[in-house]
Amino acid sequence: MPEIFIDGHRYEFEGEHKVLQFIQDLGKEVPFFCYHPSMTAPANCRQCMVKAGQYMKSRETGEYEVDENGDRVIRWFPKLQTSCNLMAADGMVILTQETDEQVKRAQKDNLELILINHPLDCPICDQAGECPLQIQTYKYGPEGSRFEVKKVHKPKRIQLGPRVVLDAERCINCTRCTRFTQEISKTHQLTITSRGDKNYPTTAPGREFDDPYSLNTVDICPVGALTSADFRFKARVWEMNQTPSIDITNGKGTNIDLWTRDNLILRVTPRFNADVNDHWMPDAGREAYKIFNENRISRPQQKLDGEKVLSSWNNAIATLSEQIEDTDNTKILVIASPHASVEENYALNKYTNLLGLNTPVFTPHIEEGTGDGFLLSDDVAPNTNGCRLLGFKELNKSGICKEIQKAELVLILNDNLVDRSVITADQLKNKFVAVFATNNSETSEVADLVIPITTAAEHAASYVNVDGRIQRTYRAKETKYTNRRIDLEMSEGRLDRYGTNFDNWVTEDNKIDCMPMWEIVNNLADATGIDINFRGGREIMDEIASSVSNFSGVSFAAMDEHAGIQLSIKKETSTSK
Amino acid sequence: MSTVDWKNYTPVLLPDIKDLHKIDVYTKNGGYKALKSVLTDKKKWEGPKAVIEEVKKANIRGRGGAGFNAGLKWSFMPPADGGPRYLACNGDESEPGTFKDRKIFEYNPHVFIEGALIAAYAMEITTIYVYIRGEYKTYIDMMEKAISDAYDKGYIGKNILGSTFSVDFYVHSGAGAYICGEETSMLESLEGKRGYPRVKPPFPAQKGLWGRPTTINNIETLSHVTGVINNGADWFSSIGAPTHPGPVLYGISGHVNNPGVYELPSGVPILDLIEVAGGMRNGKILKAIIPGGSSTPVLRADQLDGITMDSDSLRTVGSMLGTAGMVVMDEDTDMVDVLWRIAHFYHHESCGQCTPCREGTGWLEKILLKIKNGDGEVRDLDLLLDLTTQMEGRTICALADAAAWPVRFTINRFRDEFEARCKKKSHAVA
Repeated sequence: MPEIFIDGHRYEFEGEHKVLQFIQDLGKEVPFFCYHPSMTAPANCRQCMVKAGQYMKSRETGEYEVDENGDRVIRWFPKLQTSCNLMAADGMVILTQETDEQVKRAQKDNLELILINHPLDCPICDQAGECPLQIQTYKYGPEGSRFEVKKVHKPKRIQLGPRVVLDAERCINCTRCTRFTQEISKTHQLTITSRGDKNYPTTAPGREFDDPYSLNTVDICPVGALTSADFRFKARVWEMNQTPSIDITNGKGTNIDLWTRDNLILRVTPRFNADVNDHWMPDAGREAYKIFNENRISRPQQKLDGEKVLSSWNNAIATLSEQIEDTDNTKILVIASPHASVEENYALNKYTNLLGLNTPVFTPHIEEGTGDGFLLSDDVAPNTNGCRLLGFKELNKSGICKEIQKAELVLILNDNLVDRSVITADQLKNKFVAVFATNNSETSEVADLVIPITTAAEHAASYVNVDGRIQRTYRAKETKYTNRRIDLEMSEGRLDRYGTNFDNWVTEDNKIDCMPMWEIVNNLADATGIDINFRGGREIMDEIASSVSNFSGVSFAAMDEHAGIQLSIKKETSTSK
Repeated sequence: MSTVDWKNYTPVLLPDIKDLHKIDVYTKNGGYKALKSVLTDKKKWEGPKAVIEEVKKANIRGRGGAGFNAGLKWSFMPPADGGPRYLACNGDESEPGTFKDRKIFEYNPHVFIEGALIAAYAMEITTIYVYIRGEYKTYIDMMEKAISDAYDKGYIGKNILGSTFSVDFYVHSGAGAYICGEETSMLESLEGKRGYPRVKPPFPAQKGLWGRPTTINNIETLSHVTGVINNGADWFSSIGAPTHPGPVLYGISGHVNNPGVYELPSGVPILDLIEVAGGMRNGKILKAIIPGGSSTPVLRADQLDGITMDSDSLRTVGSMLGTAGMVVMDEDTDMVDVLWRIAHFYHHESCGQCTPCREGTGWLEKILLKIKNGDGEVRDLDLLLDLTTQMEGRTICALADAAAWPVRFTINRFRDEFEARCKKKSHAVA
């Protein structure tokens, strides 16, 4: 097998490897800015310099040549090489900054040059704290600067597009953003303009940077040159905690991170998953952070004499269980939801099964034209395939309307059927409508009973995407009934860890008074004398795996290990475009 | 060192013939004979490979500055696979002090066209581009005319002179960027992209223009091919300095009486060359020369004794032949000013792709401006020298080297003058 020697250690490799990526995959480090594993390597930042050479092999014997001391003869490349575009070769010798003074010096020199025209405004820069330039300057940079003349001034605060703002002075011209629009989103909207130390990325004159994936350029910008118009100046990175999750605004199931401070989701960034979304996510999914914070239903609500009033949990549960007992089983319609997780749907289904009600129905949420063949599908619900795999009855618009006509009691799990024009408010008149919902909507408006449930940011539960991949979320936000310090699975930011309820950065109101669906089912079962006792998403998934054959082998642990599990789905039902 | 007999040399690229740029005059004076020979004389030329061998033997060293054997370069082209193959002729000529190709465009465009066609035949090339800097608007028009005439006469196009060889020939105008004279950024520019030099490997012979095999040659280099085919490799290699043979177009500018382009054998003593150009202007004393374009290291007058214009001789005193565009400077020249102007040029022309060049060229210029304005300190000189090591050899193309060398060598060779300028201010204050 081919071998490569890095800092005196021998490694074997197969196939084609860029030396920089190879070193990174070993868990070692070479500083870099312009390289990105999903794009071409332009080798323009010149930061990832290494010393490279080749052990000489004898042509006759194929053995390594040795000198008089018995050491192998190395032929060094005449110049230092950028490791990002250097392909690993058999017998290659690499010295990084760890072992070679010349490399260390070259990297330090390069950082000094990068910084001479950089504004060094870290204290007011959004990137500070997660800035490759800042981090690598601390690690590999010079102690000070010898630059005593005027810096170059370039345009600042340019609104490149609706979502992205440019500060050209911070730009180090790595061209990651322009390459992103050329190679990944293929809109070709960004290019570098001007020459030499005056150049910076921009759009063609008069054009907006309205690429539907524009915010990815903010993520990959190695400095604070490109910032999100929405997130700019909202929070410092080190004040937030980062929780892995799944984008629930689209069926693609893009892997994301939720960034929380004081129980508010402040931004959404993509999380690498080679099988789903690589390093990217659509801009649409990022705006979704608002649905976790705003317009939430907190505390159950009930209609009394046509007027919505807040209710207690006990009263809400009692009201609903009485309604169920008082209504003929065949007149009860349970509507499951492609917008709710597998666990929530399963919990509701188990309850209706044990009561002897009809199997829940659901209707997919397709919005034609949303799909773009990349990270957006026409199916805008995160769990349509989950409902199918659980064996629910899939109905179209007229099917649902027909079922509703027959029903007297309608239970709707988190699905804004009125808002998305599947049914009309009139069709629900003279029926008792109970919804389990996360956010206020026209659907919750017409309901007689509204029971608040947790969002994907508040529960750990799984969703099956359009391609049949099951992936799960983690708890990012506390509710009134959860606590970061007790729940070991919840991430803690600096403020979470060191703050107390009496600190002014802790806002109790940011915790929503809601419960996971399965706990509500537990309570309902209690009130109707059925034995259901769900403990949490993890245990429910174990139960699903053992009772529903479509989900066999699925568990939270397995999903965590493989970044999601591919389930077998019928291809013709897939709405992936 | 053998002396080169340059006094009895008869020019071949720029002979004294009226209206040579007209195709009829050119053909009347033996033009397109070489092309006819390689295409039709199957006894003399057994095929394209034979032409490459002849050119390789002639040892035409690339006249664009790097001095690489042209025939050897041609032999790097992979075997033809039926797909497009390109010859990109570099007439960007943007190195300050260089203006030799202009003369070919102006006075003898067909010798270049014929050489390029022979090169295309030898490498089985399907399309030739000649990239001419945008500032040469007049010469671009002249080349367009010359090419169109050659098309009309059947020297370019389908089945040239009844053979199976077909090729197309296009003029492409630059837009005023020095960097587009660098061969790979010229390819980018030809493709309609921003002129950023490409990372090598892959080399243009493997993946050049639109990912296809491409050879890039200087205009003068290709023009010499015609003579080599007409008169043989031995004729060419017997002219001038043995290791760097053939005629050279010397572009002499600066403080001489008759600046201009002079065609002479390689290896002419530098001091003779100044005499050829009419000697020093106003009888001033020679102070320094830049032998081959602004990026080649400057030489003091006292270094020039016995030094001739070829790469080996110039290497002994620490400089290079480059493009043979010699800049002559007399005793009144302010070297700080000269160096600042050169640094200003490279700062202005850096494409901005690689960090060391993008940032370094600007830094060099700003420090030099400070010194020029009398605000410099002696430590700034050491910083400048340190910066040149920070830039050199750390970038994709050689522009950082080209920017760093003049700074390093000018300071090293005229350090007294720089230090004097740096001390002025503190002296005045005291």
